[in-house]
Amino acid sequence: MTQLSEIQTEKHELEMTPMIDVTFLLLIFFMCTLKFKTLEGKLAAYLPKDVGVNSDDSEPIEKVEILLQVVTEGNKLDPYGQPWVGDGRFIYDNTRVIQYSVGARKTNSLAEISKRIADLHKQDDERPATIDARPGVVYGDVVKILDEAMTAGFTDITFVGAYDVK
Amino acid sequence: MNLSKHDPETDMDLDMTPMIDVVFLLIIFFMIITDLTQQELEDLELPTATHAVADKIKPGEWRPIINIPYDGQMVVKREIYYDPEVNDSQAQPYLRVKEWLSLVADKMSQEHFNAEAGTGPMIPDDFLLIRADQSTAFRHIQKLMAFCGEKGVQIWKVQLAASEPPSEDGQ
Repeated sequence: MTQLSEIQTEKHELEMTPMIDVTFLLLIFFMCTLKFKTLEGKLAAYLPKDVGVNSDDSEPIEKVEILLQVVTEGNKLDPYGQPWVGDGRFIYDNTRVIQYSVGARKTNSLAEISKRIADLHKQDDERPATIDARPGVVYGDVVKILDEAMTAGFTDITFVGAYDVK
Repeated sequence: MNLSKHDPETDMDLDMTPMIDVVFLLIIFFMIITDLTQQELEDLELPTATHAVADKIKPGEWRPIINIPYDGQMVVKREIYYDPEVNDSQAQPYLRVKEWLSLVADKMSQEHFNAEAGTGPMIPDDFLLIRADQSTAFRHIQKLMAFCGEKGVQIWKVQLAASEPPSEDGQ
C-alpha cells in the first residue's frame, strides 16, 4: 500500500534554471551577431571617368594632387601586437612613415598635410582632389588620407596614378 | 501537516527533451541566417575613417562587393576569383575578376557619360564596394581600379569600406 501511494504522489518539479540559462545564451548570441553587421561603413570615391576609353573634352581643371610615398615601411605585427612571424594577417606599427606631398609641400605628418589641404580647399572649394599612392602604400594609409580630404571639405576625390604597377 | 501546495490535478509532468531540441533548432536556424547574410563579407580588418557613412542598403537592393584580404586575393561571395599564388603563373591571371566586373557593369543601371547634358555613351551608374584589409597593398586595389576603367566595364563609382571609429563615450 505504501508503495502505491509513493508512485501516485511522485511529482516532477519544473526546473527553471536551465531554461533561464538557455535564454541568456540565446540573448548573448543575438547581441554578438547583431553587432558585427552594423560596424561597417563606407567612403564614396570616384575613379577618373576618362581612364580607358572615353575622354573628357572639357578643359583640364586644376586639382589638389596628394601624393603618398613610403619612407619607412615599419615593423609588421600580428593582430595580437607580437612581431609578425610571416603567416597570417599583419598590421604595421607606428614606426611606419608615409610622406605626403601636395605641390611643393612635403611632410611626413598627417596632421600637417591635413591642415595644408584644408587651407587649399578654403582658397578654392570648387577644386577636386586626387590621391596618387605609390608602390608600398597600403589600404589603411589611403583610407586615412581620404578621410582627411573629406574632413577638409573635398567632395570630389578621385584616385589616379600608377595603374600599371604589378 | 500538508506543506505541499501542489494540486495533484493540475500539475504537469514537463519533459525537458523537446524544449532542448527546439532550442538547438533555433540556434541552428539563426546561425544559418547570419551566415547567409554575411556571405559577401570576408573576415578582414577594415581601417577606421571618421567620415565612414554607415553601410545601409535597402533589403533586396543589389550592390556588388569585392573583398581583397591582406594577401592580395580577390574574393567575391566566398569564392576566390584571383589568388596571387595560383593565378600569377597563368596567361591571364585576372580573367575571372574581369569577367565578373563585366557582368556587374552590365547589370548596373546606366547613365550618360555627361550626366547633366545627357550626352555621351552610357556608362554604369552604381557603386562597387571594395572591402580591403588595413594592410592590403594598395597596388591590388589600384589593379582592380584599372580593370574598372577598361572597355566593357567602365565602373567609375567606387565605395571603399571603412569602419567607424569607436566612439569616446563607449556608446
